[in-house]
Amino acid sequence: MLVVMKPHATRVEIDAVVEKVRSMGLAAHPIPGAQRVAIGVTGNKVGLDPGQFETMPGVADAIRVSQPFKLVSREVKEEDTVLDVGGVPLGGGEIAIMAGPCSVESKEQILEVAHAVKAAGARFLRGGAFKPRTSPYEFQGLAEEGLRLLALAREETGLKVVTEVMDVETLPMVSDYADVLQIGARNMQNYSLLKQLGSVRKPILLKRGPSATLKEWLMAAEYIVSRGNYQVALCERGIRTFETMTRNTLDLNAVPVLKALTHLPVMVDPSHGIGLRAHVAAMARAGIAAGADGIIVEVHPRPDQALSDGQQSLTPVEFEDLMKQVRVIAGAVGRRV
Amino acid sequence: MFIAMKPHATQAEFEAVVDKIRALGLTPHPITGTERKVVAVIGPTTGLDPDDLFGTMTGVAEALRVSQPFKLVSREVKEEDTVIDVGGVPLGGKAIAIMAGPCSVESRDQILEAAHAVKKAGATFLRGGAFKPRTSPYEFQGLREEGLKLLAEAREQTGLRVVTEVKDTETLPMVADYADVLQIGARNMQNYSLLEKVGAIDKPILLKRGLSATIREWLMAAEYIVSKGNFKVALCERGIRTFETMTRNTLDINAVPVLKSLTHLPVVVDPSHGIGLRPHVPAIARAAIAAGADGLIIEVHPHPEKALSDGHQSLTPAEFEELMKQARVIAGAIGRPILAR
Repeated sequence: MLVVMKPHATRVEIDAVVEKVRSMGLAAHPIPGAQRVAIGVTGNKVGLDPGQFETMPGVADAIRVSQPFKLVSREVKEEDTVLDVGGVPLGGGEIAIMAGPCSVESKEQILEVAHAVKAAGARFLRGGAFKPRTSPYEFQGLAEEGLRLLALAREETGLKVVTEVMDVETLPMVSDYADVLQIGARNMQNYSLLKQLGSVRKPILLKRGPSATLKEWLMAAEYIVSRGNYQVALCERGIRTFETMTRNTLDLNAVPVLKALTHLPVMVDPSHGIGLRAHVAAMARAGIAAGADGIIVEVHPRPDQALSDGQQSLTPVEFEDLMKQVRVIAGAVGRRV
Repeated sequence: MFIAMKPHATQAEFEAVVDKIRALGLTPHPITGTERKVVAVIGPTTGLDPDDLFGTMTGVAEALRVSQPFKLVSREVKEEDTVIDVGGVPLGGKAIAIMAGPCSVESRDQILEAAHAVKKAGATFLRGGAFKPRTSPYEFQGLREEGLKLLAEAREQTGLRVVTEVKDTETLPMVADYADVLQIGARNMQNYSLLEKVGAIDKPILLKRGLSATIREWLMAAEYIVSKGNFKVALCERGIRTFETMTRNTLDINAVPVLKSLTHLPVVVDPSHGIGLRPHVPAIARAAIAAGADGLIIEVHPHPEKALSDGHQSLTPAEFEELMKQARVIAGAIGRPILAR
């Protein structure tokens, strides 16, 4: 249920609704909007009677939310959510550009990439320190050393750091260094991890599971938001289909559908989405044209020597060219980079 | 195997190559490019050394094995984009072709209203089904020849080129009589008997991707048509079957840049079937153009709520006009015009 307050409802009136919800043994989630406050109610097993809220002072309306995802839905919050990543917006009119290597490999490598992607116009640096590799024999990341190098790159460039957290055990450590915590596709339904993320005060980039439906994905986001962390962005990165010529099938249908269903920012990862360096730029353009709020792109100074994902990583020069193309498409859909 | 002639090779040198191919019991397929003439060799070429057999002949630039299983449709064999001439209207090349119209031809009033509306908004091709491959045998199956006649009348009135589906070999001669472009629907992509027949006629073909066809299988289906002599084939991505249920299909836009690098054939995208939800057709149409598609095919109905098929994914003429504005802006951003008449 969603209790919508009148535009000029007082603090006391809002608190009274929250109190009433809590007294019923349910959770209250006040959501400030541009015009008015709404209070999401979760935890009820059966439908609530709107009448018990509608008569309270300051309440404009009490409505049942028809979707199984509640707090992330546009029914509950009409305006786009804009995450504040230490002063840099994620969501809203500006297209967010995240770029960097798949893995942090060395000090030289991450600093070189960071300076290059910054010069080309990125505001976020991606790079993995904890890597969920398919094979246990492959490079697993530099762990805390990688996080320190990302922090160093942030100091030198001012870029915000996006890096993956793989488990509950390393969450406090990764949170200490990261500006945005990425939940990888394989962990999208790791509910223990999602619950923990709900109580950290860090923006989350939640990637889509390789075989997750849009509904399952939004429910995963709801896990985080329902625990109190509203700073969540979604990232489409391709799904598993029968096609083998591309690494994944980038589901750009997801972009307009999500934008209609949820107020959370929607990012696109064209690098994993197609997996072929030559075609990343085309899919990045398509992502922006479909209405994505940003892209996350793999860039490596020497992709042929990369310890992971070299076949889909752009060189800094290719990334610079991609940024030019992205600016043109963003302009064409009335957005800026 | 293919043999590329030098830019200034003579006709006699070219014919000597063709004769030698025939003498080996193989079939030559001459392909004329703007830069050079190429002869593709079809038949059992395993064990033959291209360079040994043809490399030393006068006028030959190179003789190579085609690494892909699709030969005549591959960029290895023909580097330049194929531009199909549809009665003076190009399909493929720099200008983006827009095909629009209802899912099915339902009545004279409906098709004429739709045709005039999409022409006004900037389409150059009229789509409309007269033979409909409906999932349920109890649903509207199309007006058949009456529908084709109405499409021909709409062409006369508007000058739009007619794109319509042919479902089987039996009705092929009739549909070919009326259509400017023959559409092979997704369910028929691997109907090899039909593919062979449309390969033997001189009509442009729009080959839709099968619902669960890989890009390679799709290109092999195009190869069926081209290898029978009809080089006028365009491909149409229309969404594939995945686990996602919120959208009708999953439009595989990855296919656009991948195909553009593998084949010289034009690549068209169908956002209407690709997402299946009217409010989201424009967004995914924009994405297709940004990805490099050579054209769009879009369902437009004067009254979608009364449509006998696909109403939930059909745009109104006003929505289509708005989509065309957005498409022009995106096309302009990547330096391509929308084809105008």
